[in-house]
Amino acid sequence: MQLTEKIELANQPRLAKNKAKNLKSLLTAATCSLLGTTVPANGQSQAEENQWQFDTALMYYGESDRVTAVEGIIAATKEFDDEEFLSLKLTIDSLTGASANGAVAQPYVQTFARPSGKGTFAVPSGETPLDDTFKDTRLQVNASWTRPLTTDYTISTGLHASKEYDYLSLGLNASLTRDFNKKNTTVAIGFAAFYDEIEPEGGIPNPLAILPNPQTTAFDDSHRIGSSDNKTTIDVLLGVTQVINRRAIMQLNYSFSMVDGYLTDPFKIVSSVDELGVTQHQIYEKRPDSRQKHSVFWQTKYHFTSTVVDFSYRYLWDDWEINSHTFDVRYRIPLGTGYIEPHLRYYMQEAAEFYRPFINQDDVSPSYVSADYRVGEMNAYTLGFKYGMPLKNGQELSFRIEYYQQDPENPGYELPGVLQEVDLFESVEALIAQISYSF
Amino acid sequence: MQSTGFGFITQFHAMASPCEVLINSTDKRLAKKVGQAIANEAWRIEDKYSRYLSTSICAKINASNGKPVSLDEETYKLLDFARQCFLMSDGAFDITSGVLANAWTFDGSDNIPEQDKIQPLLKYIGFDQITLTANSVTLNQGMAIDFGGIGKEYAVDTSLLIAKSLTSLPVLINFGGDIAASSKLRNGNPWQVGIEHPGFVNSTSEKLPPLVVSISTGALATSGDARRFLLKDGKRYSHVLNPKTGYSIVGAPKSITVTAPNCIQAGFIATLALLQGKQAEQFLQQQDIGHWCIW
Repeated sequence: MQLTEKIELANQPRLAKNKAKNLKSLLTAATCSLLGTTVPANGQSQAEENQWQFDTALMYYGESDRVTAVEGIIAATKEFDDEEFLSLKLTIDSLTGASANGAVAQPYVQTFARPSGKGTFAVPSGETPLDDTFKDTRLQVNASWTRPLTTDYTISTGLHASKEYDYLSLGLNASLTRDFNKKNTTVAIGFAAFYDEIEPEGGIPNPLAILPNPQTTAFDDSHRIGSSDNKTTIDVLLGVTQVINRRAIMQLNYSFSMVDGYLTDPFKIVSSVDELGVTQHQIYEKRPDSRQKHSVFWQTKYHFTSTVVDFSYRYLWDDWEINSHTFDVRYRIPLGTGYIEPHLRYYMQEAAEFYRPFINQDDVSPSYVSADYRVGEMNAYTLGFKYGMPLKNGQELSFRIEYYQQDPENPGYELPGVLQEVDLFESVEALIAQISYSF
Repeated sequence: MQSTGFGFITQFHAMASPCEVLINSTDKRLAKKVGQAIANEAWRIEDKYSRYLSTSICAKINASNGKPVSLDEETYKLLDFARQCFLMSDGAFDITSGVLANAWTFDGSDNIPEQDKIQPLLKYIGFDQITLTANSVTLNQGMAIDFGGIGKEYAVDTSLLIAKSLTSLPVLINFGGDIAASSKLRNGNPWQVGIEHPGFVNSTSEKLPPLVVSISTGALATSGDARRFLLKDGKRYSHVLNPKTGYSIVGAPKSITVTAPNCIQAGFIATLALLQGKQAEQFLQQQDIGHWCIW
């Protein structure tokens, strides 16, 4: 009896665990090619209808000695009848730490007034001045609604709102896509508008004005021109997605963005130095009040027998003369029941025309100036990998770990005197870790 | 075709099963048109894929004697689907396992074949021995295929596509228990489908009431013994055979009904679940798929 039981058990073909779990999605793909339709998408049987699909993620971003950010995301998508989708996304991030305020390092201790005008902080000799009051929590909400208009047209509309202590951003967007050629070609046109308002503590500093002497503890109002300011952004996007063959898909996008209003960073300053490189005073930075950006983006995904390569390139240019190139490659390799995906990203940016790492006190005062490394010349690399593992019922758990390095460069300014002894273009290194769970 | 409370029903016989098309409409001409188109589709697929008709592509492939047989696009896609089912199931679902019928006869008797009758057949089983290209298929000598596990379900799916192309009104197709519906009824209620389990009177003294299942869109398929089994020493040997050992699966539910977006998916999952024997229910729960098992 026992023996027959054993034989019976051995006789039953058992599915490999990975196959058993993923059967539903594999089967959907297989049926799609058999019936040549999108029936599985809108023909869900009753039991599986109207369920929310959730994506959650927790991300940590830590720069050595500078900013640390922790971000939590929860996104939910629900499909209604007739391929209508509602997506909601909530993001909470918390930033702490210090970021470079734009002033140059000096071979002596420097004292700065806090951006709010209240209190001072000291920066040790030879170190990049960091503003350590950087601390904020941001709450962001996005909602979008997508629905087919006719068989070939799909419309999508969305709303965006984010709020942090001194910043508010509101936006809306709409896009229309049209399928051609049995859905092998998709053309998209999109539009977005944003309104952003900043209300920094202590008010909006007077651009190009000399910072008050930090030793004067009394707050001097003459350096402030108002309590808040705002900007508006209009984005337009044109895109084409083309299925090349069974294995390859390609996307080409062009986008144009026009920003008007207060584009200056109220927390950034510029050092004014003498011919020996010694700081005489600091001024508040000033950026133009409009910016027009263009970008082209090209992405190709190629499915080899078992691996997938995803390559993209973006070229961005604007009337601030910040031209940038981004190359990004991801390579997805099946591993056990899951997959591993190495990621390599390279970013290079030219400096804005008004970028100066510092100004010489004898020079004519510029109309616009910023020493913010983010508008300077730089190269940045990201190197990392992601490991994803499918769980029961189409759920997925994934881990991502990445190393990021940003190397600001001198776009060709001569460094007078003591500035040669300090590191004005300090690299920033960061570690990124993320856990995502979809269910 | 006859009129019913909800509309019209067209009945015909195809693929060794009673077939029916239900349409939730009072438009008689439309009902006739849809019913006729679907009956034609069922007969078309039967003529093309029945292994008992010498003119079918299936019979042609089985008589090819190791030579390549050229394929049309539909047949290639269907064979490619069968190949994917074979791969997804790690060889448990295999349309080449029909040669085992030479050893097993499921007539309700206790006539369990000896191992030496099964063993020589195993070398003719295995989809991985088939060479399939977009234009041709080549079977080794002695091998044969059988669309039994997917043909009728496929016919339900293609018929539903035809129905949808003719009307947006709710249509339900039932080919011998393999069922698909285009949408819920116009009054917003789901279709109520009774699934009968003929043959079960043999194993239990009282006849089981039909299983009533609600379906609005999507499909249902049932896989089960019906009257095809062997009984020895109180043990039920199901007609579902393990392609790897050639042996009957013991301890499986008598019948499994599965819901899925398409009928062919439901049919594949139901058969695969039956192949799991005692673990059938556990397997279905793991798939997170609507199901009913009768033990």
